[in-house]
Amino acid sequence: MSSNGETHVGRRAVLGMAALGAAGIAFGASIDNAVGGTLTRLSNDLGALGALVPGADEFRIYTVTGSIPVISPASYRLRVGGMVKSPLELSLDDLRAMKRTRLVHYFQCVTGWRVPSVHWEGVQLSEILSHAGATESATALRFLSGDGVYTESLTMSQAQLPDVLVADRMIGDDVTPDHGGPVRLYVAPMYGYKSIKWLDRIEVSDTVVPGYWENFGYPVNGWIGGVA
Amino acid sequence: MSLRIRQDEVARGATRGHNIWLDRFDVVERVVHWTTAILMLVLLATGAILYIPSLSIAVGHRAAVAGIHVFGGIALLLPLALGVAGPWRQRLLRDLRRLDCWSAADWEWFRRPGRRLGLARGKFNGGQKAEAAFVAGGMVVMLASGVIMGYAPARWIYWQQGATLVHDCGFVALGIGIAVHIYYGLTRPEQLRSMLTGRIPRSWAAKNAPVWAEEAESGQP
Repeated sequence: MSSNGETHVGRRAVLGMAALGAAGIAFGASIDNAVGGTLTRLSNDLGALGALVPGADEFRIYTVTGSIPVISPASYRLRVGGMVKSPLELSLDDLRAMKRTRLVHYFQCVTGWRVPSVHWEGVQLSEILSHAGATESATALRFLSGDGVYTESLTMSQAQLPDVLVADRMIGDDVTPDHGGPVRLYVAPMYGYKSIKWLDRIEVSDTVVPGYWENFGYPVNGWIGGVA
Repeated sequence: MSLRIRQDEVARGATRGHNIWLDRFDVVERVVHWTTAILMLVLLATGAILYIPSLSIAVGHRAAVAGIHVFGGIALLLPLALGVAGPWRQRLLRDLRRLDCWSAADWEWFRRPGRRLGLARGKFNGGQKAEAAFVAGGMVVMLASGVIMGYAPARWIYWQQGATLVHDCGFVALGIGIAVHIYYGLTRPEQLRSMLTGRIPRSWAAKNAPVWAEEAESGQP
């Protein structure tokens, strides 16, 4: 209290907001996980305004080009080439005739948002690679998106993990164009940017070529939490 | 009509030998205000594109939009920091102190909105002080949570999720706060004009900020 009866309310309010923000950063993840389901229902009930509800367990739709590629499921072909004994061109029916894998796992974005308990379904990448038959000296894979810009990479040992899927179904439906359909990659142990959308081509090689976001500084080995 | 009145006032003021205008904001304050305002609008627009799925899909180009957003966020504090960094800061600092200090009249501004005119008000009223504190606090929170979202080490994943929640809440709150600020500005033309030209009619000050009118007359605008 200063001599003329005035108090420093302004700076206290700023400090109070900063403290509230710090508490939100410190404990927000627990709050988010506890009330995410409720907020998701609220978000869905609000219609167009629902997109503004923070903390809802919703996907944010990323695209690095000017539009969402719309690829016809009927004419879709996944091409697998490079250092393989038998290059493949797999239609959606081919993928659906292969050994199928289902898993339920969250989707984690490197910037911090996550969608819990997402249902994924498709063919293990290792299964596809066993059909193509990578050569002895092959150590890396490069993935190219149907958007013509986005790329991703995995090492051959990462590609063999059981929870790396070439997914054609998620959230109980065919993968929609917004989510990267008809076929996308899902790399469960890594951040979302590794799960390339509109998967068009897989090139097997002996060199890891850093992917799209990795050229902006994201780790090439995008393990969630930074550990293998 | 209003122009006629103003010309009459000018004539009267001239005959009495003093100006009918009071200096409200100097050029430093105005430049800080409008550069911060432009950056804030760029941040809200790019933030909306990054945050709201339908806008993300419509605009795309995520790397470019995110780049503008991050650059704008880092630049946001520059106008204010430069404004207080040199000898040109006197008026800006004085107004920041005014915004910080609350008198009984500022609380009363909230309690009795119908009788605001009778209050012994200084340069800023309670609502303006609340808005200033809210936007300043919001800038601190958004900068801190944004830096954690973009640059924290990978093992901070738990705090990154919290920072995302804070940043999302902050977007909605600041968006409402800025919309209120713009609404008040557009519905109060003398005050909006004073942020463009730096001066406000003495008659406005006598009616709406009598305590400040005296301060301004005695050389403390």
